[in-house]
Formats: sequence, C-alpha cells, structure tokens
Amino acid sequence: MDQLTDVLTAIAHPTRRAIIGRLAETGPTRFLDVAKPFDTALNAVTKHLKLLERAGLIEREKHGREVMISLRAEPLQQVAGWVHEYEPFWNTQLDQFERYFKDRNQKEKKENKR
Amino acid sequence: MTSINRVEFMIERTIPASRGEVFDAWLDPRVPGNPWNAAENFIVDAKVDGLFYWTLKGTSHYGRFTHVERPNRIQHTWVSPNTLGLESMVTVTFEEQGGHTLMTLLHSDLPDIKEARGHDGGWKYFMAIFREQFGTGSRKQYRWEDAHPPVAQ
Repeated sequence: MDQLTDVLTAIAHPTRRAIIGRLAETGPTRFLDVAKPFDTALNAVTKHLKLLERAGLIEREKHGREVMISLRAEPLQQVAGWVHEYEPFWNTQLDQFERYFKDRNQKEKKENKR
Repeated sequence: MTSINRVEFMIERTIPASRGEVFDAWLDPRVPGNPWNAAENFIVDAKVDGLFYWTLKGTSHYGRFTHVERPNRIQHTWVSPNTLGLESMVTVTFEEQGGHTLMTLLHSDLPDIKEARGHDGGWKYFMAIFREQFGTGSRKQYRWEDAHPPVAQ
C-alpha cells in the first residue's frame, strides 16, 4: 500500500484518531499514558499504535526504561487535500437535517398511538 | 498566473421520508439543517438562474441555481471568501431507497485551501480542524470560527 492509503487507514478508526489528537496536545507521551483514556485492552492499543507507526504518524523513542511515543504529523498533510473546511460544515448540517425527519416521524408515531 | 488545484468531497445521508418531502425541506428555510436555516440573513430564489445570498457569522455566501429538478436534484454554485472568491459547485441528489431517500451532497470545484493559503498556514488550519473533529475520537459540534481562520492577506 502507498503511504496515503496507510494514513487514511490509520485515521479511519476513532481510537486512532483520538490517539493522534491526544499526542498533538500533549507531545511525547509514555505508552501507558497513551493507553489510559481508552476502555480497551493494552494489546488492542498496541495494534492501533502499530498501524499509526506503519503510516509514519508516530515514532517511538526509548528513554531509559520508558518508551515515549510522539506524533509525526507530516504524513497528515497528504490527507489535507482530501478534506476541505466545508466538509465538517455540511456534515453538521446534514446531521441536523436527518434528525429533523427522525424526530418528526417519532412524534407522528406517538400521536398516532394516542 | 498560478492555477489552484481543485478538490471535492461527497456526503451521504439516508433520510426517512419521501424524495419530494426531502427535496422541499432542503429548500425550506424553516427546516433545520439546510443552509438557509443556518443563515443569519438570506435571500433565496430557488429556480434555474435564481440567485441566493446568505450570511453566517458575518461571512457572506453567494450562488446561482443551475438545476432545480424536483424531486431528483438541486445544483447551485457556491462562492465565499472561503472559496477564495472562486465559484465552487454544490450538487444535491435525492434517490428513492426502500421508502426512504438517499441524499447525496457533492461539493466540487473547491480550491485547495491548503495550497492557496501557503504551506504553513494551510497546515495549521488543517490541524485545527482535525483536532476539533477527530481529537476526542468522536465528531464534536462544528464551530464555524474554528474552521474559518482569517485568510492571510
């Protein structure tokens, strides 16, 4: 696979996106601290980290006994051309639009039951 | 003159209503979720060659309807400072899908903002969006201000 595909695969999962977000905020972080916020097994977090590493999005560095994990954000630049600022705008609008119809249908169902 | 790369994206939603209802609702400013409902001020004339204007957080948007074909398709141009004043295209299609409507929104011909704003500015802008949308692992409420930093002059 090319690197863009690896990066897109890496950011396709919410846990991996959360790891990226966390590393972007905190800087180099110990493995256990990366895993802490997630309600998932440590080896699952390890698998997520491997995918992020394969995409070149993180790097590990040994500091004595500790392994520090850092974000390498450069590969995300490749994705930048795929995401435009209007995308989150339209996503939010369409979420609201869909919710409007779902709420309306539920309300109609309730009224029909009466 | 340097040309700017164009990008596009597509979003789909399945709406639990008939195509006609969904089509009409997309053009009805009273219905949450369509652009006119989100606007602070708007003028919309939804017919071929009709124009629209709307503002959100003080940012003006303009466009011209190029297709209004009930209940299949709505298409209009879309111009704002965030398209660098260039014409982009929004195409919304409605397909019948088991009694529901598959709604597809394609926003195309968008200038590649990253490139247009320069490498560094574009990168910072992208990371801001990324953190806002994905940082916690779930999409947060979109905030216009975060995704629309002032364009560097």
